[in-house]
Amino acid sequence: MIEAIPHTLSTQGWWIVSRSSAMVAFVLVTASVFLGLTMASKPVRKPGFAKTMRALHEQTALAALVAIGIHVVAVFADPWLKPGVAGVAVPFVLSLNRFWNGIGVIAAYMAFMLGLSFYLRKQIGPKLWRSAHRATIVVYVLGLFHALGAGSDTGSLLFLGFAVVTAVPIAILFVYRLGVSRRSSERRHLAAREKRRAAARARLDDAIYDTA
Amino acid sequence: MTTPRPRAVVIGSLSLFAVLFVVLTFELSANASTKAKAQANAKARPAPAETKTEAATEPEEPVSEPVESEEPVSEPEEAVLEYVPGVGYVERVPEPEYVEPEPEYVEPEVEEVPPVVTSSS
Repeated sequence: MIEAIPHTLSTQGWWIVSRSSAMVAFVLVTASVFLGLTMASKPVRKPGFAKTMRALHEQTALAALVAIGIHVVAVFADPWLKPGVAGVAVPFVLSLNRFWNGIGVIAAYMAFMLGLSFYLRKQIGPKLWRSAHRATIVVYVLGLFHALGAGSDTGSLLFLGFAVVTAVPIAILFVYRLGVSRRSSERRHLAAREKRRAAARARLDDAIYDTA
Repeated sequence: MTTPRPRAVVIGSLSLFAVLFVVLTFELSANASTKAKAQANAKARPAPAETKTEAATEPEEPVSEPVESEEPVSEPEEAVLEYVPGVGYVERVPEPEYVEPEPEYVEPEVEEVPPVVTSSS
């Protein structure tokens, strides 16, 4: 078997790199999304918890972008696949597993745009950036489907186990996060109404005072 | 709580990548070598039918040449299981059918008749 390693690396090296980097990217995207949802749900209100979570979230997201970049380069360089620039850059152009690879390309674009937009949030505006950042869950879902549909290791129990074990808490956190965001928007709405009422009452009091 | 350093994430990711790379390389190499061995075996060993033929034509031990017998040896009849009440199944070789021998043609002896001499006048 040892004698076959140089031959394997020379013929299938890029394929091995693309598979390894894809799995690393998937693990990191999963971790980043999990941390982001946990952070937003605020389950723990310890001092410093949010700071630690934010740092880990940012680091895993950046590492995931690097892994996705390596995956794209390795797929491009694969001598057997020969996808060409269009195959890796334009969705649904690569003939092999056209649909699943197409959503993979879209997921990669979204990951780069949403991930790097963090550093442009002042220019974009915090409100717009925040609402755009919520679409990161789509990157995770598209990445998961891309891995299941086009991945070479879809049949491996380790991969399937990881995907299921992480998808369930992410789904629960996402639903919880939606609930939290709806409750907080209701609270903001109520607070604004209360403020308006108080202002109206104050104006009425002033009017009564003036009349008197 | 202390802020985690990015080094931990980088080292973790690189370690995972290295482990996956090594595992996949070994897996593919093992598959390739198994396939190569199977192909080599298939080339070295002929098909089972050929093996049988060769074994039949080239026996390992030399066999003494068969002595030609004047009378052809009749092939042994296959044994047939026959149920005998009280005994059970009994292997029985059916008796060969009796074939009446053809009578040999014997050429009849011709008696030599001495020529009859007649006197002529």
